[in-house]
Amino acid sequence: MTGLSAFWIEHFVLCRSGIPKCHRGFRRRMYGRRASQLLKEIDSSEAGQLAPFNSDVFDQVIRECNEHNSQFQSLIRKMVEQNLDIETTRNEDHYGAAIHHLSLLRNKRCLMAYMYNRAEVIQSFRWKVGPVLPHDIQEKLHFSEKEYFKNHSAAIKSYISEMDIDLTVDMVPPKDTYIQVRVLEDIGEVSLGDHSVSLTKNSLHFLRRTDAEQFISQGLMEEFLE
Amino acid sequence: MSSWDDEDSAAAAEAAATDVELLKRAWRNEKAAPEILRFDSPLVSRVREQIQLLVRFSLSVFLLDRVPPLHPPPAALDLTGVPSPGVVSFQEETLDDFADSGVDDLVVSLYQMDLDRTLFLLRSYLRLRLQKIDKYTMHISRSDDLLSRLSQQERRFAKSCAEIMEKHLEQSVLSKLPYGYDSVTRQSLSSTEDDTVPEPQLDTFVFCKTKSDVGAFQLDDITSNLTNGNEDVLAIISSTHAWSPSAVILSDRFWSVVTHEEAIGWLDMKPGISTSKLL
Repeated sequence: MTGLSAFWIEHFVLCRSGIPKCHRGFRRRMYGRRASQLLKEIDSSEAGQLAPFNSDVFDQVIRECNEHNSQFQSLIRKMVEQNLDIETTRNEDHYGAAIHHLSLLRNKRCLMAYMYNRAEVIQSFRWKVGPVLPHDIQEKLHFSEKEYFKNHSAAIKSYISEMDIDLTVDMVPPKDTYIQVRVLEDIGEVSLGDHSVSLTKNSLHFLRRTDAEQFISQGLMEEFLE
Repeated sequence: MSSWDDEDSAAAAEAAATDVELLKRAWRNEKAAPEILRFDSPLVSRVREQIQLLVRFSLSVFLLDRVPPLHPPPAALDLTGVPSPGVVSFQEETLDDFADSGVDDLVVSLYQMDLDRTLFLLRSYLRLRLQKIDKYTMHISRSDDLLSRLSQQERRFAKSCAEIMEKHLEQSVLSKLPYGYDSVTRQSLSSTEDDTVPEPQLDTFVFCKTKSDVGAFQLDDITSNLTNGNEDVLAIISSTHAWSPSAVILSDRFWSVVTHEEAIGWLDMKPGISTSKLL
């Protein structure tokens, strides 16, 4: 589909940017608006944070896509019934179909970008939070995202076991070999290296950094700084 | 170029670089590059071997129940870096020596610290690569050249990542879209190429620091002049040039990539330069 005529471009662009008073009624039917809401949500959330999955807007955009498709199909059908060559004819039906097609594409891109960007944040959770997500994060996820997290964690786990080196510790450059930690919750007897330690609540220990890291990331211990 | 006459001495200097320094360089490059670089398999296996040795060594020392006199570490062992392969045999001797005469706890903890730092570099290097593969999974899986830069295990990981992502997108979005618009790599049937695959931006810039006098050189169509008197020179070159084949020969010998944070830190030390604009 090559260029649109000037009229249609103006009409389309006018709807998307400034809207003159007489065209206010178009606002509700402006194509692609809901999809850009999803993108604005991604843009306005802080790095590494997820907003709850916006299934309302998401489903509306899907509905819009299907509507665009049926409009598109009916316009094409109309042209075929009039025995017009779809490839070369340039009448209002062609341009109408072009707009529906392009709006559908834009909606698709927005939806994919929405899912993809959220997926990137979910990937980072595996490194920052761990293999199990806390409840308040789980609530924000679409069911497919929960599955994605599980599968992604499994892929990382299998790489780690193939390489035989734990990549989930040592997330920051080490300063000291040993650090002093205070236990926040009762963990019990834990065997570290060649001896075992009893990690009771509020006890202070001098542990190896790599050993303590897993507990610290789970919030069960904290570094004790004088 | 006059600087190329120093090839022999430069090559000699290269060979003496410890594996840790090589790992650090690979780590820095990986951090700064927007796309994934070649996996240095021999380097990684050597580093892992040395780590194993150090681990066994420190463990055996911990198990000793003696308070021995201080055994001074020989000069050949640079405590700031894991010794390069030629010195590995020394490690094993040291093990026996220490087992006989014992060693001070302080020395052991220094070895331990060294071990920790090397381990961090290795872990971070592998992690950075995994995260890059994750981010551009579909792009990497479709390019033989990029796949060839991965280790075997990374290739398997890349394959699962691509499958997982595709499945996720299909389940949530594409299965609900009308026929003809449900491809994960193309916008629609009328697309002439794979237009929905995210790719890394290759025309970003990286900071580079010269290590020695480079003089005038040419990178593709840009001629630059990087001289180095007594001061380091910090240059900004585009990343497509930093890792292009013509630049590879120059890169290791004459300049090193620095991360964004390092560049800011270095610039902060220079009088009269304000780094706030760079951030």
